[in-house]
Amino acid sequence: MGNSSYRSKTGGLIDRSQTIHFWFDGVRYPAHPGDTLASALLANGVRLAGRSFKYHRPRGILAAGSEEPNALVELRTGARREPNTKATVVEVFDGLEAFSQNRWPSLKFDVMSINSLLAPIFTAGFYYKTFMWPAALWEKLYEPAIRRAAGLGRASDDPDPDRYEKLTAFCDVLVIGGGPAGLMAAVTAARSGARVILADENFNLGGRAIDDASVIDDQPAAQWVCAIEAELDQHSDVRVMRRTSVFGTFDGGTYGALERVSDHLPSPPSGIPRQRMWRIVAKQTVLASGATERPIVFGNNDRTGVMLAGAVRTYINRYGVLPGRRAVVFVNNDYAASTARDLVRAGAAVVAIVDSRPGSTDAVRAVARDVGCPLLDGAVVIDALGSQRLKGAVVRNAAGSTETLSCDLIAMSGGWNPNIQLTTHLGGKPQWSEQLSTFTSGVLPPGMSVAGAASGEFSLKGAIVGGAKVGQVALTQCGYQPVDCAIPSAISESAAMSPLWRVDGGRGKAFVDQQNDVTTLDIELAEREGFRAVEHLKRYTTLGMATDQGRTSNVNALAIMAELTQKSIPQTGMTMARPPYTPVAIGAFAGHHRDKHFKPTRLPPSYAWAKSHGAVFVETGLWLRPSYFPRPGERDWLESVTREVKTVRNSVGICDVSTLGKIDVQGPDAAAFLDKIYMNAMASLAIGRCRYGCMLREDGILLDDGTVARLGQHHYFVTTTTANAGKVFQHLEFCRQWIWPHFDVQIISATEQWAQYAVAGPHSRALLRKIVDQPFDISDQEFPYMQVGEMTVCGGVQARLFRLSFSGERAYEISVPARYGEAFMAALLEAGEEFDACPYGTEALGVMRIEKGHISGAEINGTTTPTDVGLGAMMSRKKDFIGNVLGQRAGLLDPDRPTLVGFQPVDRGQRLRAGAHFLARGVKEIAENDDGYMTSVAYSPTLGHWIGLGLLKRGPQRIGEIVRAFDPLRGYDTLVEVVSPVFIDAKGERVRG
Amino acid sequence: MVENILQARSAFPEFSLSRYHQLTIAVREHITMVSLAAWDGQSEKVQSVIQSIYGHSLPQRPVRVGGMEVSFLWFGPDRWMAVGERDGGRDLEENLKRHLHGLAAVVDHSDGRAVLRLSGARARDVLAKGLPLDLHPRVFKANDVAITHASHIGVLLWQVDDAPTYDIAVPRSYAHSFSDWLLDAAEVFSAI
Amino acid sequence: MRITCPYCGNRSLDEFLYHGDAEPQRPDATADNAMDAFVSYAFERTNPPGQHHELWYHEAGCHAWLVVTRHVSTHAISSVDIARDLAKARTPNTAGRA
Repeated sequence: MGNSSYRSKTGGLIDRSQTIHFWFDGVRYPAHPGDTLASALLANGVRLAGRSFKYHRPRGILAAGSEEPNALVELRTGARREPNTKATVVEVFDGLEAFSQNRWPSLKFDVMSINSLLAPIFTAGFYYKTFMWPAALWEKLYEPAIRRAAGLGRASDDPDPDRYEKLTAFCDVLVIGGGPAGLMAAVTAARSGARVILADENFNLGGRAIDDASVIDDQPAAQWVCAIEAELDQHSDVRVMRRTSVFGTFDGGTYGALERVSDHLPSPPSGIPRQRMWRIVAKQTVLASGATERPIVFGNNDRTGVMLAGAVRTYINRYGVLPGRRAVVFVNNDYAASTARDLVRAGAAVVAIVDSRPGSTDAVRAVARDVGCPLLDGAVVIDALGSQRLKGAVVRNAAGSTETLSCDLIAMSGGWNPNIQLTTHLGGKPQWSEQLSTFTSGVLPPGMSVAGAASGEFSLKGAIVGGAKVGQVALTQCGYQPVDCAIPSAISESAAMSPLWRVDGGRGKAFVDQQNDVTTLDIELAEREGFRAVEHLKRYTTLGMATDQGRTSNVNALAIMAELTQKSIPQTGMTMARPPYTPVAIGAFAGHHRDKHFKPTRLPPSYAWAKSHGAVFVETGLWLRPSYFPRPGERDWLESVTREVKTVRNSVGICDVSTLGKIDVQGPDAAAFLDKIYMNAMASLAIGRCRYGCMLREDGILLDDGTVARLGQHHYFVTTTTANAGKVFQHLEFCRQWIWPHFDVQIISATEQWAQYAVAGPHSRALLRKIVDQPFDISDQEFPYMQVGEMTVCGGVQARLFRLSFSGERAYEISVPARYGEAFMAALLEAGEEFDACPYGTEALGVMRIEKGHISGAEINGTTTPTDVGLGAMMSRKKDFIGNVLGQRAGLLDPDRPTLVGFQPVDRGQRLRAGAHFLARGVKEIAENDDGYMTSVAYSPTLGHWIGLGLLKRGPQRIGEIVRAFDPLRGYDTLVEVVSPVFIDAKGERVRG
Repeated sequence: MVENILQARSAFPEFSLSRYHQLTIAVREHITMVSLAAWDGQSEKVQSVIQSIYGHSLPQRPVRVGGMEVSFLWFGPDRWMAVGERDGGRDLEENLKRHLHGLAAVVDHSDGRAVLRLSGARARDVLAKGLPLDLHPRVFKANDVAITHASHIGVLLWQVDDAPTYDIAVPRSYAHSFSDWLLDAAEVFSAI
Repeated sequence: MRITCPYCGNRSLDEFLYHGDAEPQRPDATADNAMDAFVSYAFERTNPPGQHHELWYHEAGCHAWLVVTRHVSTHAISSVDIARDLAKARTPNTAGRA
């Protein structure tokens, strides 16, 4: 083992000057740069690549590209372990480690292959039938057992160590596929000056032209491809993307593509991503994605050594590997000719050409004569022999008698299916071509055209001519002038075929979908049980699912179902594809945005100051805000928060409230406009004064609350809650532009411009007096509650002062330009030293607003009306405003609606929990008896016990009543007393000083 | 009046000039930005005021006009951003407020926006990693302006010259996240 | 999907927010049938196949509200108009200043 006995002496596009080594199931093998894992395994005589999904049958390599259903392997170890990679697309690098899947204890001896004997229970729909009862066992027994027995490899449990990038690219012409048609389209467009992106999923361009070692312009195809690549590289507006799969077509000429940047390397170089996700926006697209060869369905057609004929030629021509030494070529078409010729040229014996067509064709007969092999026309292979290694083919000849041919390779071809998946992602239905016996593209996505084998034009000459033509149409559509260029010469080989979908009479299972172990019997069963529609067939049998998306099975399955139901194939249905065309790692979709970069983080102006002063931060939306500022010796957050609250209530504290949305509303109609937005009057607000305001949605539900300050006749400055800043701005623009377009008003976001701090507590004015420059007067006469003014602080820094209070104490909000925010925080605290001032965070802010019964996000929660939260009287009856009419709906005015009240535990030592539901005492805990729920709770340092706000049915009428606060989810059940929502300073005297 | 005792803080306090292969990224600290939003029907008057003071005609599509000291970027329908290339933003704001009184809303954004400058042949490649905009030289040219987003952050971007050089303004609170992304995107171009 | 903003040019869908049908007009709040009219305006929608006029907001761009005419089966966009211009043309100038 390990000698390269299946490697030809010469030929192929591998680099024979270097030998590298890889590991497969712990064994070290040689390979050459340019090999795929599949070609290297074949070169080393390794045929067995894995065990099948359901029956654990030994499987080898069927194909040479991304359509491979069988040779799925696990790559690498540790955090980079990746299951279900196709050996046919994995590039070998020195030290690559690969492992076969679905076998235990070893690939050659697999105890689960007993599943094959249990096949009767693993037929189509077995999940639905076998494990129906008792249902309780699903989670505990059936599912884990099925997952162990029938699986597709193991993902790593570790975080993905690699980086990914997500990019956008724009072009005139996107060419998908770098075979002869794609290359001609790309070079034609490039010569005219168009911006071109050429994407090919392989690591080298050329497609079938190099797979078949064709001749183009009287030179080997590889040489011609090199010349075209070199020319494309010369154009600065051309980007050639190798190892790039275009996996999805989206609206507006947008395509998704995955570039495998470093998968062919042991690990990505520093700074280089493993993969890049590209969003490509193209004016025109040329789909030149080639075609996928169809297997023929016969007995034991999944045996290792049964291979697609095109793949056999690829291994010979591209990799210099002989997939077998004694080959039977089994076809329904003229590709027998090139297959037999390539096999013989590479040194294999062709035991026979088995052509299902009676009489075969001149082209095949000529080659059979040339290479000196028997041609059995009108004959079929009915069974493959051998288990882990192919030993022979049972052939039934035209007369109906059978013979066994000894062979180690069956090269089969049932014709070709154009790769039209990307034409169907937007709903374009494929069309059945009787002439080609395959589906071709129907209505194409806007801007897309199809060339080469993808268009059903299977000859090399046809691909070249078609590619050039489609490229020219595309560049013209983009407004470029075509440049005359010669069409390279090439042969027009015959693609004649006569459909053959399956062969009956074999003794072994005949597989339609090898990846999902779906046999002809499963399709027959589905038909008998009524799952005839193509979508039902797929779901009932799992046909066409998983990593290969049925690229070698869908059309065969459809044809077999058509036979069974005696309908035509187009009557039976068609297979539409959805993105992605090939698997895409989740990491690639995330790109940079994972872990702490999952979304942007917004930092308030005092962030650096708070961090250096030991703040504990909390995420509120995108913002990172100080939650509280622990001091040495404090045992927990509650102790810190309690101290912060007491400091504000007794002296003065400072809190960064810059995160509030701030909107400048200016214009001759600013006042009239705000009257439409807020449910209370704003036009009547005097210049230099502030007012609390609420805005509604049109359906009468609260949208947001905040303050409105009038800075001038035509100038208002409004604040929104932190959470709703963006939504309110959008709402204002909607009203301004769409509902009342004649209002002459402008709306400008000023959130980011100002660092704004609440200075709250009995000593707040004294503190500010040390900050505010002379001659500005902030005495209570000049600057009463709800006053606003522009001034300077700290020796000339522009500032705005608002006398507002969320805490219920005498308080101010003062703002300075954001660049001074950090220094201003320090200056305020320094000025406050004599008062023992402290900074406070969102926790203390929340505690104090609950003590005052002020509503917040927990109460403005998308279900509450102004009346629900005790603000019904604020709603104007004299004007129209958003939410005015629908807010009067009977349901919203129902006195039974849960309404805001306060709560305190009957046992003052108990804590309260937000989310608990209220029940009258003595009633059953059922939804019908639900009286509302607790919205906000806090430990009140002022009162020395827990308090809460909540929405209770007819709440204000039930003050004094004892109700149950019940939270079965957290096993919480306690008695609470219904009280006023304003726990302290009910008359509101403290805000005025 | 006493001297201002408050120290201004950069929106990019940890950011220093970063040089890469064919790319530099620098902070533009001393830049003033003031938005103008014309009242209905006053757009032409605003135009003529700006023309008479600064000698520039305000753009009606996403481009920049102006010179070394003050330029005007299109910033939405009937909206512009005046950009002062030197510090001391209040002068520009006061000047505009005085002359455009009753014609337009004038709002200072000098502190609300943080500006980075990318320059060099690799600038387009870096921006493609998060900016969903076609910056090809035939499509987006010097003095073109775009309001869009990059890496989920709203940006105002304008092309300064054909190096190419781009100035990118982001909301101040996002500056940290934005530079995180940008430096990550640029890492691959580290000088070898 | 991509939308061509009349101001900013052709941009990706993720710059825009979808709002809803542009056909319903906010009724007169003082009319006798105001409640019924508002219920219809806020809640009642038909959803026929074919062309829809839809309100979109260029949130990550110029903040313009747009009326996008879109075929809801194919996503083909046949026109994009500036909402404020359409709204001005539609309604007499009764709002605002005395």
